Amino acid sequence: MTKGDKLLILTIIVVNVLALIFINQSLFSYEEKYISIQVNGEEIKTITFDDNMIGKTIPIKSDYGYNLIEIGDGKVRVIEADCPDQLDVKQGYISKVGEIIVCLPNRLVVEIKGVGVETEIDGISR
Amino acid sequence: MKGLRRLVFLALLVAIGLGLSIVESMMPLPFIAPGAKLGLSNIVILITLVVFGFKDALTTGVLKSILFALATGSITSLFYSLSGAILSLIAMYLVYKYLSNIFSLVGVSIFGAMAHNFAQVLVASLMMSNIRIFSYLPILQLTSIFTGYFVGLVSGYTVNNLKKSINKIFY
Repeated sequence: MTKGDKLLILTIIVVNVLALIFINQSLFSYEEKYISIQVNGEEIKTITFDDNMIGKTIPIKSDYGYNLIEIGDGKVRVIEADCPDQLDVKQGYISKVGEIIVCLPNRLVVEIKGVGVETEIDGISR
Repeated sequence: MKGLRRLVFLALLVAIGLGLSIVESMMPLPFIAPGAKLGLSNIVILITLVVFGFKDALTTGVLKSILFALATGSITSLFYSLSGAILSLIAMYLVYKYLSNIFSLVGVSIFGAMAHNFAQVLVASLMMSNIRIFSYLPILQLTSIFTGYFVGLVSGYTVNNLKKSINKIFY
């Protein structure tokens, strides 16, 4: 191990950790995400983000209650709900993969899911 | 006589590399990241590069990749291992030739492992025509520090001992 080796290892660690952070923030979370709407644990609808979907509202009626979902530019929110606390409406927009809106009284979950890169690499190595 | 001994020695190195590759492919992955490998056969290529030079190392690496594809029977892995072997060899050769006063064999082999990973991600993204696979590169590069370090250590010890006896074998 020379001085150059140690410097090289340090440089690689720093550069790649920075790259990982960058990727996690922008590229990784932004591409190919979709909205998954679940009622009582079952996925009843998936919506991909699209330019002509912006501003559209989707009513979700189930045995447990009524919610109105509005889709924005790469984001989604609940604008109406018949639940007493209105927590899901107050939460506002979610836009990142993994973010989630829950309306517990209506058993509604609105989640943003992403198509992960790792699953694809798994897919071809098998 | 000298040429024959050299040929036999290189053939032995190819066989060792092939054996190491097969053993490695049977091992469960030691790292969290899928696709990360120990790169044991890189030891052989690095030793060949140091002891015999670039041309023989290239032959060893290409032969090993082709034989490995024949042994395991998967053609897609041939592209990955060939591109990885050739690119990592070129990187190791350049670093060894021009920067060996800065880096020891550990540094050389880390460069090789990084080039290997880069080639594999490049081939994967070309094959699937999906550029986003490159976002997977940093994780692989981080693992290449560990693999490169151990490969470099092993090669260093082997080369030291081999250089003592190599004159007896060939001259």
